[in-house]
Amino acid sequence: MPHFTLPITPAGPVMALYIGVSQAKRGVLTAAGLSIPPPILIKGLVDTGASGTCVDPAHIQQLGLTPTGTVPVLTPSTGATPHSANQYDVSIFIPGATQNHPVFSLQNVAVLESHLTAGQGIDALIGRDILAHCLLNYDGASGLFTIAY
Amino acid sequence: MALEKELETYKKKLPELAGSEGKFALVHGDEVVELFNTYEDALKEGYAKFKLDPFLVKQITVLEQIQYITRFVAPSIVPAT
Repeated sequence: MPHFTLPITPAGPVMALYIGVSQAKRGVLTAAGLSIPPPILIKGLVDTGASGTCVDPAHIQQLGLTPTGTVPVLTPSTGATPHSANQYDVSIFIPGATQNHPVFSLQNVAVLESHLTAGQGIDALIGRDILAHCLLNYDGASGLFTIAY
Repeated sequence: MALEKELETYKKKLPELAGSEGKFALVHGDEVVELFNTYEDALKEGYAKFKLDPFLVKQITVLEQIQYITRFVAPSIVPAT
């Protein structure tokens, strides 16, 4: 099973990932003669407390995305009443540990738009929807985490 | 607001969609176009049919599934209709 191991940073289990236009949308952009924005390299925190993956709006805008869904969200900033948040279809690629390891990719996945960047040093929360495709090992004693896919 | 009409259509048609709980509805304007077993299939059909026009993909749930985020984030909130 391909896997990679990274150090747990003071910010937690953080890793680099690419976010891009979904595969479904890429075909439409090409057929319309429009250019496909290149995937963006961002920093994501593995967060088992997030049921869905969240991405900062700055990156959503950079990719020129428009929403294809809305979902109710409960987070400490919203209090006890859920708020509707926009959902966007994207592709996500997580590079393997070496060139010999295959890339972990999801071609058409929905992410939530949430303000994260200011003061947090991360661009995305990698939620349980993505972790549902992986095996996560959090080795706090060694200060390492491993993702196998 | 993005997808305002599509959300209104979904809410209006929800009583008749309730028997298809768990499926993904593709909604465009005032029409529920088709139901799919997966998000991916609904998305692909949405782009195939409507290109870059707005469309909504919504999982059918009688009691809407809430997303929980325990970290302090500020969701880009869609104004209530």
